Amino acid sequence: MTLYACDALITSKTDPNGIVYCSEGSPSSFNPQLDTFGTTVDASSHQLYDRLLDFDQTSGEIVPALATSWIISSDGKTYTFQLRKKVAFHNISTFTPSRYFNADDVLFSFNRWRLSTHPYHQVSGGRYPYTDSLNLNKLIKSVKRLNGYRVEITLQKRESSFLANLATDFAIILSAEYAETLTARNQKQLIDSVPVGTGPYKLSDFRQDQYIKYSKHPEYWRSDKLTDKLIFDITPSSSLRLAKLITGECDAIALPAHSELEVVRQQDNLVLDEEPGQNIGFWAFNTSRPPFDNPAIRRALSMAVDRNALLEAIYFDSAIAAQNIVPPTSWAFQPDVKKVNFNPTAAKKMLRENGIEDGFSMTVWAMPVKRSYNPNAMKMAELIKGYLQDVGIQVNIVSYKWSIFREKLSQGLHDSVLIGWSADNGDPDNFYRPLLSCAAIESGTNRAMWCFEKYDQLINEALDYSDTQERAYFYGQANELLAEQLPLLPIAHASKYQAHRKELNGLVINPYGGIRFGGVTKN
Amino acid sequence: MARFNLYQEEQHPSPLQYTWLEFQKNHIAMGGLVCLVLFILITVFCPLIAPFDPNLQKTGNILVPPSWDANGGITHIFGTDGLGRDILSRVLYGCRMTFGISILLVIFALLVGVGLGAIAGMSKGFRSSFLNHTLDSVQAIPTILIAIIIIAILGTGLVNSMWAIVLALIPQFVHQTRDFVRSELSKEYVMAARLDGASKIQLFARSILPNMGETLVMQATLALSISILDVSALGFLNLGAQAPSSELGALLSQGIEVAYIAPWNIALPGGALFLMVVSVNIVGDGLRSALKNRLLH
Amino acid sequence: MLNILLRYTNLIIITLFILSLLSFALAYLFPGDPIEIMTGLKLEELQKLQNQSVNIGYDPEGGVLSQYGHYMSELFSGNWGVSFSSGQPLYEEIMQSLPASIELSAYALTISLILGLPLGFIAALRHHKLPDYTLLSFSVVGYSIPVFWLALILILVFSLHFGWLPLSGRLSLIFDVPNKTGFILIDILMSDIDNKHAVLLDALRHLILPTLSIAIVTTTLILRITRRSVIETLNSEFIQAAYARGLTTRQVLVRHGIRNALIPILPLLAMQFPTLLTNAMIVETIFSWPGIGSWLIQAIYQQDYSAIQAGMLAVSVFVVLFTMSIDMLLRLTDPKRKKVERGTI
Repeated sequence: MTLYACDALITSKTDPNGIVYCSEGSPSSFNPQLDTFGTTVDASSHQLYDRLLDFDQTSGEIVPALATSWIISSDGKTYTFQLRKKVAFHNISTFTPSRYFNADDVLFSFNRWRLSTHPYHQVSGGRYPYTDSLNLNKLIKSVKRLNGYRVEITLQKRESSFLANLATDFAIILSAEYAETLTARNQKQLIDSVPVGTGPYKLSDFRQDQYIKYSKHPEYWRSDKLTDKLIFDITPSSSLRLAKLITGECDAIALPAHSELEVVRQQDNLVLDEEPGQNIGFWAFNTSRPPFDNPAIRRALSMAVDRNALLEAIYFDSAIAAQNIVPPTSWAFQPDVKKVNFNPTAAKKMLRENGIEDGFSMTVWAMPVKRSYNPNAMKMAELIKGYLQDVGIQVNIVSYKWSIFREKLSQGLHDSVLIGWSADNGDPDNFYRPLLSCAAIESGTNRAMWCFEKYDQLINEALDYSDTQERAYFYGQANELLAEQLPLLPIAHASKYQAHRKELNGLVINPYGGIRFGGVTKN
Repeated sequence: MARFNLYQEEQHPSPLQYTWLEFQKNHIAMGGLVCLVLFILITVFCPLIAPFDPNLQKTGNILVPPSWDANGGITHIFGTDGLGRDILSRVLYGCRMTFGISILLVIFALLVGVGLGAIAGMSKGFRSSFLNHTLDSVQAIPTILIAIIIIAILGTGLVNSMWAIVLALIPQFVHQTRDFVRSELSKEYVMAARLDGASKIQLFARSILPNMGETLVMQATLALSISILDVSALGFLNLGAQAPSSELGALLSQGIEVAYIAPWNIALPGGALFLMVVSVNIVGDGLRSALKNRLLH
Repeated sequence: MLNILLRYTNLIIITLFILSLLSFALAYLFPGDPIEIMTGLKLEELQKLQNQSVNIGYDPEGGVLSQYGHYMSELFSGNWGVSFSSGQPLYEEIMQSLPASIELSAYALTISLILGLPLGFIAALRHHKLPDYTLLSFSVVGYSIPVFWLALILILVFSLHFGWLPLSGRLSLIFDVPNKTGFILIDILMSDIDNKHAVLLDALRHLILPTLSIAIVTTTLILRITRRSVIETLNSEFIQAAYARGLTTRQVLVRHGIRNALIPILPLLAMQFPTLLTNAMIVETIFSWPGIGSWLIQAIYQQDYSAIQAGMLAVSVFVVLFTMSIDMLLRLTDPKRKKVERGTI
């Protein structure tokens, strides 16, 4: 009897009706229009919502989603979308949709971030980092409803990356009817915290820093298999996530630490997926602050740091050394740009020549969270501190709670920062523009605070052409400009990893953004 | 029997010597004492013993297993951590920090506690009862809560967390001193001194305090083990010593990050901490039974 | 009897009043605006609410005294403000996490008593013999072991190596149990979910390791206290007299020993309460147990001062009420005792 009881206590039974995913943090809201960071995207974009278009998970091609087909006019400025019929929105305790998805919802979702006069624009702060940084709000001239299931979008000028942008995690479709209901109840702010979308799962409960619970959307339009429950168990520590994966408390985990990949590979009941990363981890200098406005000093600082050692210590060789800001898999990549070589002696000399004396002190901000592009910024900062000490520079490492960190960062209070970027689509514009264009300073993704007229000109010109070879010419020039100016020091393109238990079927790495649980099942 | 000695030589050991003799009989307690002395030596001579600088990072030597492991090396006997720092050196410096701080805290708490206890014991009425109630309340609050309040007001840091621990340690010294003073005051030797016209301060300093030595030492060992556990617990929770520091609790919390791939990062600092507390407790127990045996005779 | 009741009620009221003053003072001591800390809302939001003529319960222009009055009336109406970081009402958060902590400590204490008392008796009865030495060395080890290290080792062995037991939380998140009392086992038994058996088993599996971590340390404390008390009782004259009357050891123990040894233990046990709570709070953070300890420590990490202020008050009121009631009970059962004696473990 006792033996039986013990046996029952220690044999864990996994429930096939629910998937537990151990995520790394709390989302800032449930609307990816408002936040470009992975945590928010993972928790919302593919679980709660759909987009007009999607990327095919394996080939990366643009495929139909809520739009069943589209026509592009010959001048490349007008896009007409045919919308899918009989797509139901979530039915939640406070809202029962009375109609299917139609053109009004598309208009509402786009106009919300596009028009500053829109009644919902200012709700939740009025900042839309992704679309703002790409200037999409200025690019789109109009969004017109042709009939209930047909929408026409007109652009100011031809832009070859437009369709790809509509397929990113951020171009989600909200419910216009829900927004009206909330307006009538004077509860506009609920639109981003109690979300309604068309996605495979609907939100059922959320406790900050503890969990997010989703339940199945019974009328989901895709024929994907769904489990009754989907749970995000919020676990900030990566070692704890791995531990929970091993004990079976999680079925899948976010961002396995690079140091622990070997452990996952050795366990028979775990699966590790790997995919070359569409990302870049870098060390950005705040070019709006002297002396970091001087390219020579930026170069000298970069030369003082041994990037290969960083690669080994932080990424455990699961990343490749970065030369451009785009990874080698991109067609805009260029192997023969001016290189930064590790040479502390020359760096020291260069610093002295530019008036940086022994004992100069600067701050290195290290982001407090793990990302695949930088799994341990704190540790990297400590290593960099060691290197800079050798050239006579004192480093103070600064870190805050994530939300505060980002806020202070966009105010430009840093001297330099260790951070990075993950691409949301396969287009190289998705690296060049949000990271270093002038407009991205305002929208808060340009960590180097770098505004260089020639660079903006180059990346804008690249978009005028649709042929990749022609575009590659401009990006090549941009690459050379960056190698010369060094507003940021590219460090690594890390592979993207995903670990899950054997029982889980159908989970694949989404190279362009957030995780998807639609179609994932458990034996 | 022939008498060669003019005087019969009869040696009376002093109370202190007697306690020491009793203590020596207890082998386990002696073992604990040896261990404790070892920790004191480490605390004092740490920079001479430690093979490396505890904060020296070697990027080529990350997570090297201890020397007894098949993959381990001789250079790093206890292996290295996730930043390539030598664990033996970090543990040695950690012992120094945890043990040293704890001793300082106990000494400080002892001085304040004995002072307050003397006042409470010598005085009567409102002053004494007020002190009693305040101390009772302080004692009833878990240390960790006091630490949280102080840290919320002053910010995280080793020094701020130390205040919380001192505050938690003081009451037991006060109670001990007060009870002792109360019971001694009625004894004849104190009465004799009082009749000689000794003032309260003289009474305490000259008559009572010398007799308190052993009980205080015993109480101090008890306080020391509590203090070590508290310092490391707060360090472990990141409320005390902060990340790059090699305080043992902080070492443990840094070790959790790599717990599964490098369990020695948890085992060794924890083991050192455990050994430290055990030796303090064994010495404390030994002292207590030695004292009791002496009083029985 | 009535006298003691009255005295303690008085004492409790005065202490609670002082606690409320201290808690109120914390709002002024913490960095930031006192009213923001008491309500958990930013001043601008408060201004907005006031402009919409919503009663915010505070008067930003009022003096300290009127502020205290507002604070107390809000406290009693269950409006404890909201958390800076999550925006949730603090009263609800605390009422969810405090029972979780009490539950964990209570189970740990129960196990420790069941193990510690008999073992203490055994050690005392075999004083200076092998069982005594074995138990004593076990207890020195047990109460010297840092509880956080013990918990980590238990996790490494039982969760990660053998994969027997879960290492975090109270219940698998898959299960939804309506929260009524806040005590998970009671909630499960009271609920009408269909797979009750499985859920209960899951809750028990989650309980084992954290309870064990706390219980091992507490058991050794109880063992030592009991052993000492029994030895002292057995050496006392009335026991010798009982033996002299020709009673057997068993008779002596049952008629005189147990009762007289247990009475001095109780106040000493009550004094271990803060240690138990401290250990529970540390263990909570390791096992991600959603109790008040891990909640408060999270609040510190996030500089969530409104949460710290409210959480502090809740915990200290609980501690005061608990210790004072124990004190009072002891006085009622044993009026001869003037004051709880203090002793060492």
